[in-house]
Amino acid sequence: MEVVAEGVDGKLIISVASGKGGTGKTTVASNLALSVGYCQFLDYDVEAPNSNFFLKPEIKHVQKVTIKHPYFLTETGADFSACADFCHYNAIAALKDEVIFFPELCHGCGGCKLVGPKGTVREKDVVVGEIRKGPAKPNIDFSMGDLKPGSMRTTSVQNALDKLITKDGLVIIDSPPGTSCAMVFAVKDCDYCILVTEPTPYGLNDLELSVGVLEKLNKPFGVIINRDGIGDNKVEEYCNKNYIQILAKIPNDREIAKYYSRGDSLIDYDSSWKKKFENILKGIEKELQT
Amino acid sequence: MKQLTIISGKGGTGKTTVASNFIKLASNQIAVDCDVDAANLHILLEPEIKKEEEFIGGAVAKVTGDCINCGKCEEACRFDAISDSETDIKIDELRCEGCGVCEYICPTDAIELKAEKQGSSFVSETKFCTLVHARLLPGAENSGLLITRIRNTAEDIAGEKNIKLVIIDGAPGIGCPVISSLNGVDATLIVTEPTLSAISDFKKVYEVAKIFDIKVFACINKFDINLENTKEIEEFCSKNNIEVIGKIPYDDKVALTLSRKKFIVDSKDSEAGLEIINMWENIKEYLYSE
Repeated sequence: MEVVAEGVDGKLIISVASGKGGTGKTTVASNLALSVGYCQFLDYDVEAPNSNFFLKPEIKHVQKVTIKHPYFLTETGADFSACADFCHYNAIAALKDEVIFFPELCHGCGGCKLVGPKGTVREKDVVVGEIRKGPAKPNIDFSMGDLKPGSMRTTSVQNALDKLITKDGLVIIDSPPGTSCAMVFAVKDCDYCILVTEPTPYGLNDLELSVGVLEKLNKPFGVIINRDGIGDNKVEEYCNKNYIQILAKIPNDREIAKYYSRGDSLIDYDSSWKKKFENILKGIEKELQT
Repeated sequence: MKQLTIISGKGGTGKTTVASNFIKLASNQIAVDCDVDAANLHILLEPEIKKEEEFIGGAVAKVTGDCINCGKCEEACRFDAISDSETDIKIDELRCEGCGVCEYICPTDAIELKAEKQGSSFVSETKFCTLVHARLLPGAENSGLLITRIRNTAEDIAGEKNIKLVIIDGAPGIGCPVISSLNGVDATLIVTEPTLSAISDFKKVYEVAKIFDIKVFACINKFDINLENTKEIEEFCSKNNIEVIGKIPYDDKVALTLSRKKFIVDSKDSEAGLEIINMWENIKEYLYSE
């Protein structure tokens, strides 16, 4: 399904991220998508994807994400020590008549096949996760990645999502928490990043860290404060002091938490948020034009 | 010595709140903050850093010599980290996993793997116990390696000082940092919430914990926002032999207390605080058994 965002000229990628987990990334990303209506939505939080509970897509395609693992034809009597020496992840130990392979350490780079005795290192596909794709209402082209438990190949699944990004229109990316490679992968191609935080010392600490990442990547960004009123004013003071725009404040409300727990959206609870999210998008477009 | 790792799958369910309060209630303990890209334990524990060490992570490829733009490296790279331009190649350091294939394949030896500082690790003293923690630079990779390092440091200190309990605050998600935080521990406590998102992530992270064949405990935070979902979690736990050590009620005082940099277990009128004390009583006997 080709979806082009109405009102968005060309392509606009918005990533929704946060340093601290559980601050409301998925709430913001999914409600922005539902409010705007026309967009592509990608859940890059492949270790703990949750946007499906709120967007309720009809999954039409499931695609396995695989990487290549080596296996060694030891019966040939070949010497595999070059493979073990080459592997930067210490995934291979070459003994006299035997090769011990640690699959969880293998990144699937193919180096051992390249340096090993010709024809004695073969490869097989190993599933590390899956991509699920399908339409969601009103007019959302939905994709999510899901890492297989036990696998460490988070970025392999994210890379498979990278290949699905459309050429045109609005693209919303739901990022994983943190500030390391998986989060950077989800914000690296965005035109604008929304950072969601909460007004607590944990929220502030992690907001400062994620601002550090975005400044390093030179990305424009704004902040949404979720559970406003729950802790203190220090997040707001920090944003004001550093000229960071606060795009919205979502109040601390036990009712909203109840809606969330069932997979119901913020705009179901309070329909005035639809207009607010539309305006946030308009504001972002305006900021990027100038 | 027993080691307990606190994890959650979904971020923001209360890992660090439970961990920091357990650290306060414990005796003869050492604390480790394994959420190295968005660490928060230090906020309540207020550590005084005694020892700092640089963390040199895995290497990334750099073009250091004369590139003839033959395109061999681009073809060989399985992480889509190399792209071609008119005159030479470009290496995307964010995608590069330091496998060394491009360095090996380059006919003019123009590519070199270079390791850089990716963070720091610290051994600190707090009012309660020693804290081993770290800071990963924004966007850095190899958090698993850094986690292994700080856990080894904590184990060494525990051995020297005859410490009986290592309390580890884990990262959200189910990937590399979580796996590195669970490897070799005795038990894990999964902090979850009665929301569709948290339940889904709880089940995924439980799959990971199962791989390690360790004792699994669980607690349900904000259990009263959705009693039906709480029941579902309890049923899942009883079916899978997971011991539920507590159910923490929704309590706005948790965030308020945190904002005052106080421990919720010291708040005599907080129901959440009382339940965390209760949880500690339930798990204590196991943690200090031989």
